[in-house]
Amino acid sequence: MSDESANPTDAPETEADGGKTLGGSASENTVTRLRTRWEGARDREVTVIGLTIVGVAVFPYLFARAPVVSDLLQGYQELASLMLVWGIFAIGFDILLGRTGLLSFGHAALWGTGAYAAGWASANITEFPLLVVLIGVSVTVVLSVVLGFLSLRRGGIYFAILTLAFAQMIYYMASAPLSFITGGDNGFTGVEIGSFLGVFDLGTELPSIAGTLIGTWRYAFIGAFLVFSVAAIHRVLNSPYGIVFRAIRENEQRAQFVGFNVWRYKLAAFVLSGTFAGLAGALFTIHGQYVPLSSLYWQTSGEVVIMTVLGGVGSLLGPLFGAGIYLWVEYIVSGGYPFEWIAPYWLLVLGLVFVSVVVLFPEGVWGLVGDLRRRVATRLEEQ
Amino acid sequence: MALLETQGLTKRFGGLTATDDVNLAVEEGEVVSVIGPNGAGKTTLINQITRLLDPSEGDIVFKGESIVEAEPHEVAQRGVSKSFQTASIFPDLTVEQNAEIAALGAEHGSFRLNFFRHRNQYPGVSEGTRKTLEAVSLWQKRNTPASDLPYGDKRRLEIGIALASEPDLLLMDEPTAGMSPEETNATVSLVETVKEELGLTLVLIEHDMEIVFGISDRIIVLNRGRVIAEGTPEEIQGDPDVQEAYLGGADL
Repeated sequence: MSDESANPTDAPETEADGGKTLGGSASENTVTRLRTRWEGARDREVTVIGLTIVGVAVFPYLFARAPVVSDLLQGYQELASLMLVWGIFAIGFDILLGRTGLLSFGHAALWGTGAYAAGWASANITEFPLLVVLIGVSVTVVLSVVLGFLSLRRGGIYFAILTLAFAQMIYYMASAPLSFITGGDNGFTGVEIGSFLGVFDLGTELPSIAGTLIGTWRYAFIGAFLVFSVAAIHRVLNSPYGIVFRAIRENEQRAQFVGFNVWRYKLAAFVLSGTFAGLAGALFTIHGQYVPLSSLYWQTSGEVVIMTVLGGVGSLLGPLFGAGIYLWVEYIVSGGYPFEWIAPYWLLVLGLVFVSVVVLFPEGVWGLVGDLRRRVATRLEEQ
Repeated sequence: MALLETQGLTKRFGGLTATDDVNLAVEEGEVVSVIGPNGAGKTTLINQITRLLDPSEGDIVFKGESIVEAEPHEVAQRGVSKSFQTASIFPDLTVEQNAEIAALGAEHGSFRLNFFRHRNQYPGVSEGTRKTLEAVSLWQKRNTPASDLPYGDKRRLEIGIALASEPDLLLMDEPTAGMSPEETNATVSLVETVKEELGLTLVLIEHDMEIVFGISDRIIVLNRGRVIAEGTPEEIQGDPDVQEAYLGGADL
């Protein structure tokens, strides 16, 4: 995200602040100074990771147990975990969509493969959650290389169609010919997840205050992977890859003519996003202890696109919020009290939310947050 | 040995022969202009050298090695850079990031598995970025999004991107097309400075004869895909074939 510190809208503002501070009062000075420090710290790796840890730790309490907020949101622990799982999927997907400008409509294949591979491994190889995840991710990485290699032959809409076609192929393979492994229409039911490090049953609560905040070991396990994912993606975006991806998004031919092997970078973006899709899929299995056939269906690919756009393409944390909002509507608004009157129309609600965000805040929910932050900062300085 | 040589370079589009058996040699440090009426094959020639187009026949030799089988990014990595006729920039990125990408391409190579390595581990990149932007006098505007630049600045940034990739040979496709007289003058002096300071070899496609005759060491005239004349500006000026190609030489 540090590339956003060079955000053009920020830059002239900061220069203007510098001029103002000279003649400003003491309080104004403090505000500006605090703000400059915040601007500087905002995108640093430690800050991003720190804030993510705090957010992940406090979220289940606020969502499921805090006095007023949780009543308002009607949240519960398991939904909080599910939000993190899809959040990992969406922030990984954004490497491809937001950064590199490639719309894949076949990421269900990667998420589903991660989920099935993890489920199958848990039933046949090992019960250890970490190993189950590792196997799920490894299988998905291999599949991403193959799918990326085949689909990236074409750009734009053809790429989207190719990914969709390959993903549907895998869906049909799983539904019938491979049903002796996948369980066909019934999904994969034999998931056996053991305890973490052989000690902590994932279903039990953490001790004392940690239990109140975080809740279950399962949430902590998934939350740790989310923090890891945010840190890893932050790193990738600040590596040469980050700027090359953006260059490809903006002007592919130019990127090639300054000497980049565009094709390989696109494949790298595809495999990186596939890795997180596989990780999320494996965690989905650990979360639900079951793999539905629908995890390979094209609708799953569509859902992650919607989550990413809703949260804000091209922002590191935005898609997390997109995933949260999507699931909240899907699980809470559709679920009855206090939304009985609107519950049957939850898809309509989702559609309206999506359309209004796209029309009113093209940069997604995260873009809206950024706008507000800037507006407040400007207001503070004007005082 | 010439820096760049084309041997019998021929490109056919269906029945049309866009370049027809073009043999040219560009020596190191030279400024060579390629001129000719519209449709003479100038841009096709450049596009073959940068490997955007596959020649139908012939060979291209750069620094003594054939590049006719190379990918465009490999040609760029070997030191051939091109500034496009239209400003081919990265519109949503800042001026500085535009140059940074090109400098990174030069410093870092076409592809590496270093996705966990921070960009500030490549100090040469920011150095190259600053130098280039100062050379094209856009350092002051480094935080402006490229799409917000006025047209002349965009074209200068375009040249800046080409320079930041540290080429040995710079191909410029009509660097002053669509520019105001002031912008044209600024660009010409930029090209001259760059040539002197960096010792670049330049191949220029240009319509403005004043610029061509002022800046070139040698001029190659194309007509209907063929080289019809080649020589110093003085020699070209008096060439009857050239005047014929340009309809009585109104421009000359």
